[in-house]
Amino acid sequence: MRNILFAVAILLAGLGISSPYHFQLLTFIGIHTLLALGLNMLMGYAGQISLGHAAFYGIGAYTTAILTAHFNWSPWLALPAALFLAVLIAFLVALPMLKLSGYYLGMGTLGFGMITYVLIREWSGFTGGDSGLVGIPPLEIGPVSLSSGRACFYVVWGTVVLGFIVCERLVNSRVGRALRAIHDSEQAACAMGINTAQLKISVFMLSAFLAALAGFLYAHLVSFISPNTFDFLTSIRIVTMVVIGGMASIWGSLLGATLITLLPEWLHIFSDYEMVVYGLVLMVIMIFLPQGLTRGLLDIYERSKRRAGVPSTTAKG
Amino acid sequence: MSDRNAELGSLPPLLRVESVSKAFGGIQALHEVSFEVAPGTIHAVIGPNGAGKTTLFNIITGAYPPDEGGVVYAQQEVRGRKVHELVSLGIARTFQNVELFGNMSVLENVLVGQHVRTRCGFLGAIVRGPWVRREERQMREYSMELLEFVGLDGVADHRSSDLPFGWQRFLEIARALATRPHLLLLDEPASGLNAVETHRLGELLEEIRKRGVTLVLVEHDMSLTMGISDRILVLHQGKKLAEGTPREIQANEAVISAYLGKE
Repeated sequence: MRNILFAVAILLAGLGISSPYHFQLLTFIGIHTLLALGLNMLMGYAGQISLGHAAFYGIGAYTTAILTAHFNWSPWLALPAALFLAVLIAFLVALPMLKLSGYYLGMGTLGFGMITYVLIREWSGFTGGDSGLVGIPPLEIGPVSLSSGRACFYVVWGTVVLGFIVCERLVNSRVGRALRAIHDSEQAACAMGINTAQLKISVFMLSAFLAALAGFLYAHLVSFISPNTFDFLTSIRIVTMVVIGGMASIWGSLLGATLITLLPEWLHIFSDYEMVVYGLVLMVIMIFLPQGLTRGLLDIYERSKRRAGVPSTTAKG
Repeated sequence: MSDRNAELGSLPPLLRVESVSKAFGGIQALHEVSFEVAPGTIHAVIGPNGAGKTTLFNIITGAYPPDEGGVVYAQQEVRGRKVHELVSLGIARTFQNVELFGNMSVLENVLVGQHVRTRCGFLGAIVRGPWVRREERQMREYSMELLEFVGLDGVADHRSSDLPFGWQRFLEIARALATRPHLLLLDEPASGLNAVETHRLGELLEEIRKRGVTLVLVEHDMSLTMGISDRILVLHQGKKLAEGTPREIQANEAVISAYLGKE
């Protein structure tokens, strides 16, 4: 039901907006939502941190860019190749890495992200190095080119809706419950017969899949990519989106991605002090809403309802 | 109770621990401990703190392997098997300090318990076909049955960490039963319970045994242990001090001096 409302809202927004600037902004929010959604499955639900998620974003973008711009593949053929490569690399990385936990897993994934970034930058024969890779063709469905602002908007947000449906179904299934169980107590999850090692690898692959999908869309919508989009700061920004939006909340990914994408746009008026205000906003949110925007706003809503004399729906045991 | 012992004595044991030893650093936690558990019985393991009871549990459930000796469950050597494999073979456990999934509801905790008895994976969950929906419905029905059995069906939708401590213990038992175990290991199930709850626990364990589940419990509460156990194993400083029926243990000189205290 919520997803249908969401889809309708997207449809109406697409019809109502005409400014190319707004379309571009919303398209980026959509791509960031996909990134945050993938990381939220790993971090929020399974409780495993990744500080190198931009690597999978980059692998998705560069694989499709190289295949389409250098080798003239159709983007629709490059898509499965990009996704497969990202998931395969995720599997190989996760195999030794997810034996680590906490800070150590953070350091490990951080290293992986940096290695990928350096490879992209230095392997200039393929990737164009620092000067970037140009001439990535736009997506096409038959004769229709999806290069207009509105088309990009619909492609990206259609993917986001699909991503939401998939993740929501997962979270409320046997697999999703097992993931949340690992987050709460890995020892008890083991004692319930959950193969925690295998499940952690699977969810790492899922989050890499979503990041690579976001990278694929990004490459074809922007038609030019350069290494800086996939650096360490991007990884941190994705983590921030998840934490600010709300861990273990699918809609939190949308809120977090929206805020982190819009904030720099709004803060232009502070010119030189932009980054200072940006940091302050994040600090204030974390101090007053430590559970993230979704949980925090819901709590405020429930508290105001209680103050108005309406009995709360959440029972306490 | 002695009748039951005689009657079950002819069956092969469900669990056989064969001279198991385990050391942590320089500390010998267990030293050549052997015992057998007949199917359909309640077996208690007692001993002062540091006697090696929890170590014994962790070895039986596969949390770590013994340094020496072996564990035979249902006629097969299970030494070196992983925890989650042993759960699917039918060994379940509860924890001394209660390890619930605190952010999940009471019902969801029991649903997770059925993980090894169900099979919906990533693809199944995403497609959510008819068999997945049927499996999910059956899981929920069985979970509610178990919650009713332990008396928690009224709070199925509450967050498990919001429950009073005693109820959390009962929820942990329901969750362990959800794995459909043949052998259930309970680590100090009565600790933290009041007298009424301990009495209710005793009745519950009897009912679980009647359903065909073999029970091994580590316990400090003597009235509970003596009342419901068929056999008792006494550990002292990692060694087996005595083994026998509750009456034999109560009369055992070595046990009285080492554990119950000399008059």
